[in-house]
Amino acid sequence: MNALEFGDVSFSYPATGAEPHPTPVLEHASLLVPEGAFALLTGGTGSGKSTLLRLAKPEVAPTGALAGRVLAFGRDVRTLSSVESARAVGLVFQSPDSQIVCDTVWHEMAFGLENLGTPAPQMRRRVAETCMFFGMEPWFRRQTASLSGGQRQMLALAATLAMRPRLLLLDEPTSMLDPVAEKDFLAMLFRANRELGVTVVVATHAPASMRDVATCAFRVEDGRVRELSLDEAVAACAFRPEDVARPVGRTGACGSRPALSLRDTWFRYGRDADWVLRGLDLAAPQGEVTSVVGGNGSGKTTLLQLACGVLAPQRGRLSRPHAASQAYLPQSPRAILSAQTVREELMLWSRGAGYGEAEVTAMMGRLGLSGVAARNPLDLSGGQQQLVAFAKLLLTRPGLLILDEPTKGLDAAARTRLARLVQELRGEGCSVLLATHDLAFVSAVADSVSMLFDGAVTCTEGPDEFLAGSWLYHA
Amino acid sequence: MLTMRDTHTAFDTCHPAVPATYFAATGCIAIFAMQPVCVGISLAGALAFSFASRGWRRTLAGLRWQLPMVALVAVANPLFSASGSTLLARLGPMAIYQESIAYGACAGALLVAVVLWFEGAACVLTQDRLLQLGARALPTVTLATSMAAQLVPQLMRRSQAVRAATLATTAAAPAGSRARGVRVADQLMSWSMEDSIERSDAMRARGWGATDRRSCYLPDSFRTADAIALAGIALLAAASALLACVACSQWRFYPTMPRLVAWWGYLPYVALVLLPTALDLGQRIRWGRVA
Repeated sequence: MNALEFGDVSFSYPATGAEPHPTPVLEHASLLVPEGAFALLTGGTGSGKSTLLRLAKPEVAPTGALAGRVLAFGRDVRTLSSVESARAVGLVFQSPDSQIVCDTVWHEMAFGLENLGTPAPQMRRRVAETCMFFGMEPWFRRQTASLSGGQRQMLALAATLAMRPRLLLLDEPTSMLDPVAEKDFLAMLFRANRELGVTVVVATHAPASMRDVATCAFRVEDGRVRELSLDEAVAACAFRPEDVARPVGRTGACGSRPALSLRDTWFRYGRDADWVLRGLDLAAPQGEVTSVVGGNGSGKTTLLQLACGVLAPQRGRLSRPHAASQAYLPQSPRAILSAQTVREELMLWSRGAGYGEAEVTAMMGRLGLSGVAARNPLDLSGGQQQLVAFAKLLLTRPGLLILDEPTKGLDAAARTRLARLVQELRGEGCSVLLATHDLAFVSAVADSVSMLFDGAVTCTEGPDEFLAGSWLYHA
Repeated sequence: MLTMRDTHTAFDTCHPAVPATYFAATGCIAIFAMQPVCVGISLAGALAFSFASRGWRRTLAGLRWQLPMVALVAVANPLFSASGSTLLARLGPMAIYQESIAYGACAGALLVAVVLWFEGAACVLTQDRLLQLGARALPTVTLATSMAAQLVPQLMRRSQAVRAATLATTAAAPAGSRARGVRVADQLMSWSMEDSIERSDAMRARGWGATDRRSCYLPDSFRTADAIALAGIALLAAASALLACVACSQWRFYPTMPRLVAWWGYLPYVALVLLPTALDLGQRIRWGRVA
């Protein structure tokens, strides 16, 4: 039997004042996922992958015009009751922060079963077995707020599996995780698939990490779905550093004062806390792209916030010649986006930074945002949100750009666009300091890579040299 | 505040109903028994338990503001109520009586004792234990509280991120602290709203609203031993309350204070307030360390 079947499905969002004739998201899309499969649903952001997944779960399906058949285990999902749907089909979302509901791990695990009115003895057993499967006993009684992003995402997966669905849908489940947490998560997902026999469908724009566990792949493009081989699916989504021509030679004033330097920097968050940075030295040369890599919790974000002057070191010397003309892109673009439309968003800082409508229009043209000027920035795809945030920063004409995980959650196209943009800025003489896990991006844009470990910079090398000598990192 | 239980102390192995009853009863008696000996007993018990459960460092840190408060109330009371019979001094038109100072000191000590009992209760009855108590009777309230509780730390973390992002882009950073506050609040609001949409989807995907009757997962069960402990505590508390009531009825601050005498009737109350400390000490001794 097929676990999931889409037969000739067409879907479009309802017409609005701005868009009287919306283009259909899906047009005559068909898809067959056999029971027990581990299927990849690939495609760029905004290609309709999420919409497709949500259509299989009527409780969260978007409103709009739907035609065609959507079957789960041979039954039309729209005829399933809410209880039947919750039992048969599980859905895990992207953000580890916004899908956790309860304050403690045990309560989160029981939440779904409580909703279905499962009797207490059965509930205890299911929660216990799921926790054992995931090895979650050590944190069973912990507060969810104290968990790391990777643990929270694992909890979201476990809490969904506690309801014992036969089909599990996941919408970009690892795009907010660092590479180590991503591997842990996928290993668990793989075990659930093979050992528990749960059919898995993952929507993703970065299928490379799932290449070895997946059994089939589909690509959503222009409203259609086609099946393709795993290698093709991975290749179609790959980010190629060679697409971004790296300019040779140094453009900046070589040998002059660095755009930023930290010397013998020590920092901790509280009197009783451990040192995050212990005697760190870092210099970002003028007009170059300096990148910082390192494990989770190695202090990358702390380092950037010190570089911005938002935090002050307990000891050490900071030189920030660009203090008055710096711009900082936080990990989540939601931390700086708040207006109703993209144009308003970009105009927000116009008074303080001294620019006008004309500059905003030019900037939207440059970053390819003209088409979405009237849309709400938070309704855009992750990549476009990042570009809007980026545009907002560039309008302040910074001399030093500080970027925290700029490619987190972005698909290959958005990463390429961002990489080209960083290159252009470098060409204009802007200095860039960025922290990232994305070595492919680093090799496309950076002049140097510094590895952070144990609160200090372990080595600083050119990207090619760094990758050639690395045991752990690959582009 | 919202952290996990980090110490093992009294009532660790009981159903949360037992410590809840204990602290409710002890707190009530502490509030109403306005008599020097009763206040003294309650303060001594609360302090002892605070040392045992929260450690001397945190207790002493608390006393740094609590002791001045007692002194303040003791000094302030005569200024507002000029009653009593033993004149100590005159400040212009105001007469300062010994009884009035005694009343103030007693009220201050009572206040500190009650605060300490609350802190002790918070240490034992962590939020997840407290929520279990209400789960059957008020399932929706309990769930809403649980949801809100996990949002608070997230909001704190985000406000730091938003603050950093707001200040770091210098050309656009708001000038005054007020403008900065407004921008951070505005930003946090829009972020949270966006999140709540996703969270409600995640809830519905896991069957929220699918049935009228939700069931209830309770990690701790209520056993016979808990019932016995509960009955014992209720009995002791009732006896203490009754005897404290007798003691209070024979006591007055104004116009003159009667002499305090040794009385067996204080003993049940002493036993009640020292119970958690004794349980904590017993556990420490069993584990071989009294420190």
